[in-house]
Amino acid sequence: MIKNGTTDGNSTPARPRPLSPNIQIYRPQLTSVLSIANRFTGLVLSLGAVGLVIWLSAAAAGPRTYGVMQSAIGNWAGQVVLFGCTFAFFLHLCGGIRHLVWDTVHGFELRSIYISGWTVVAASVVLTAAAWTISLFVAGWHL
Amino acid sequence: MIVESSDQVPRLSWLKRFPIPRNFKVTPESRIEKGRIWPAPADAKRIKAFEIYRYDPDSGGNPRLDTFHVDVDDCGPMVLDALFWIKNKVDSTLTFRRSCREGVCGSCAMNMDGTNWLACTRFISDMDTNATIYPLANMRIIKDLVPDLTHVFAQYAAIEPWLRSETPEPEKERLQSPEERSQLDGYYECILCFCCTSGCPSHWWNGNRFLGPAVLLQAWRWLTDSRDEAKGERLDALEDPFRLYRCHTILNCTRTCPKGLNPGKAIAEIKRAIVEREK
Repeated sequence: MIKNGTTDGNSTPARPRPLSPNIQIYRPQLTSVLSIANRFTGLVLSLGAVGLVIWLSAAAAGPRTYGVMQSAIGNWAGQVVLFGCTFAFFLHLCGGIRHLVWDTVHGFELRSIYISGWTVVAASVVLTAAAWTISLFVAGWHL
Repeated sequence: MIVESSDQVPRLSWLKRFPIPRNFKVTPESRIEKGRIWPAPADAKRIKAFEIYRYDPDSGGNPRLDTFHVDVDDCGPMVLDALFWIKNKVDSTLTFRRSCREGVCGSCAMNMDGTNWLACTRFISDMDTNATIYPLANMRIIKDLVPDLTHVFAQYAAIEPWLRSETPEPEKERLQSPEERSQLDGYYECILCFCCTSGCPSHWWNGNRFLGPAVLLQAWRWLTDSRDEAKGERLDALEDPFRLYRCHTILNCTRTCPKGLNPGKAIAEIKRAIVEREK
């Protein structure tokens, strides 16, 4: 650790130098916010994968367990969680595609970074809305 | 909404800082305490408030946030001018680095209104109503706005930023074609102000081992130099989960560079060079 002290290094009692603030004061920007969002949606999706396994196990366990599971998903809280997972899925997917493009060393001009960033946000909203519209249209409104 | 170049001042930001506690992950000696409020001169007409990070190593106390009131009519147009005004007229102990006052030396890099930039090239009129000035983020602080850059310069030395060549020294200079020379454009202009490294969240969390954008941009400047013959060894040294691959393409670096350079792109070039040599 870097300590305070005089140049002769032995006369001043050591007190660690303070660390200037980082995350506590740095302004949120599209760059950093989308990066955190990609991390967070990744986390949500891995939890969602556990949920998917539970749902499949319930289906395998028989109609009664499956019925309990379906009613849990079917109430408003379950629907909100499911909606959140859908949005997380699309945001993570679009963000991932953006990263793949970057890996080919394309789209690094600041203008492109911002255009692709907002495109990811808009595409995720549109795709989530589309996925829910289609599934409600196909499955019917059961609430 | 769309930022065209890094000199665009963030105006329509929904938040000035992330909604987290002020002391989130802050160790006791780094906690910022309330400081003094210095009034404006009585005859001042247009006044601008500056909240400035202060740390006095001799006091034995913690850093604090002082509020200064600057008479804008009596002061030059840049933030650096405001700092000089404060030092000359209000508190002579205010400490900061500066040299060229025209954006070519990189000494006065600091965090203004939440982003890193050079104080000499940021207009006071572009600052928020309560302007905030902190030292470069995530650095050990020597005094006030003066960060200890020992660690980042050691990281710079680690990439061996000099020409490495086996061929015998020519009688005159080592020649390059205009095309070869143009490969250095956008990289040789770096002034090592460390705005980018200090604004990189990955460097905040893994700065001990991750080299950070400024140093990696310099690494690419030597990798892409047609006269350099140590490309393989340079890539070997960089191919490491931490030194290079802690870059997660957040791109705060490219957003904040006061010279309009693109560290994010330089790092992507390094990653591609490593993939391509393994084909």
